[in-house]
Amino acid sequence: MGEVKEKTKKAAVFCMQLALLTVLYEGSVLLVSYLHIPIPASVVGMLILFFLLSKGWLPVWMIESGAAFLNKHLAFFFIPIAAGLMTYGDVIQSNGAALIGVIAGSSVIGLMVTSGLSAALAIKSREKA
Amino acid sequence: MTALYIIVTVAVYGLSRRAALRFPSPFTTPVFTSTALIIGLLLVSDVSYEEYTPAKDIMTFLLGPATVALALPLYRNRSVLLERLFPAAVGLIAGTLSTIVSSVWLASAFGLSETIQAAAAVKAVTTPVAMEAAVIIGGDPALAAAFVITAGIFGAVFGPALLTAFRIKDPFSRGLGIGTVSHGIGTSQAALEGPVQGAVSSAAMGFASIVTSLVLPWLFPFL
Repeated sequence: MGEVKEKTKKAAVFCMQLALLTVLYEGSVLLVSYLHIPIPASVVGMLILFFLLSKGWLPVWMIESGAAFLNKHLAFFFIPIAAGLMTYGDVIQSNGAALIGVIAGSSVIGLMVTSGLSAALAIKSREKA
Repeated sequence: MTALYIIVTVAVYGLSRRAALRFPSPFTTPVFTSTALIIGLLLVSDVSYEEYTPAKDIMTFLLGPATVALALPLYRNRSVLLERLFPAAVGLIAGTLSTIVSSVWLASAFGLSETIQAAAAVKAVTTPVAMEAAVIIGGDPALAAAFVITAGIFGAVFGPALLTAFRIKDPFSRGLGIGTVSHGIGTSQAALEGPVQGAVSSAAMGFASIVTSLVLPWLFPFL
């Protein structure tokens, strides 16, 4: 009996955490549309939650297991969206190779510049210290 | 039918996750294998994306809250982030500019139209920002979304292997690069590599979208 109760309690807490994260997100959607901020609502929500956690105004346990679950399965949410690529069949057929070339080339350049610079600067500052 | 589409999508995701654990390789990245499988299944069973859309809307309901939840790894790794704020900002801004400039130049070198060049310019940032930014510089938002998805999958599939090939081992710099060029889809993969990678990648994804939306309307006319 005790075990069942414990599990039910955990499930309830988990659902409350998902609900709380949803409220934070929907609040950010309203804030962004009201203030016309040129940043996506989800990023604004992330910054707000980070701020609340840093200030200690929202204790970590109130979102912990729900947030960890969503983080772990973040990739899932992109699958139905990515399947939308199937509607670009004609563009892909006519320009596919060039499009892949553009995306691959510029992604590799951006990746190397970002990570390379960050790693090089980190080594430099460590040498100074 | 919507319930069936959801069950199939969840099952495909579950299978591809297992396959990725069993056979770790860039080509078993779950976003890539699942998306390919779902598209294949929809095409074979003659289901259009419009028919699948109600199921998509239900399944992506938690995407916003899930992105908000990235604040948790960010918070847990805040000391590393603050300590390396300056090199991270330099890397992120230079990387964002170079990915924008190189995508437009490559697109024009391949003889692609100006509408496609504009869609390519925004490909590194998360879909809602990319679509808005594309409209501002004269691109097509739907095409921009297609570029964003492809760039995200490219970064998730090849990003970690490319970084290893270029001998970038530092988890902080790895997360920064992946988040900067391949937004949420790359971040979902970076988070699997480790908590620091996931945290830095999610922060980078946010800041890259801010830098892009501020810089692009000024930069694009000069390219």
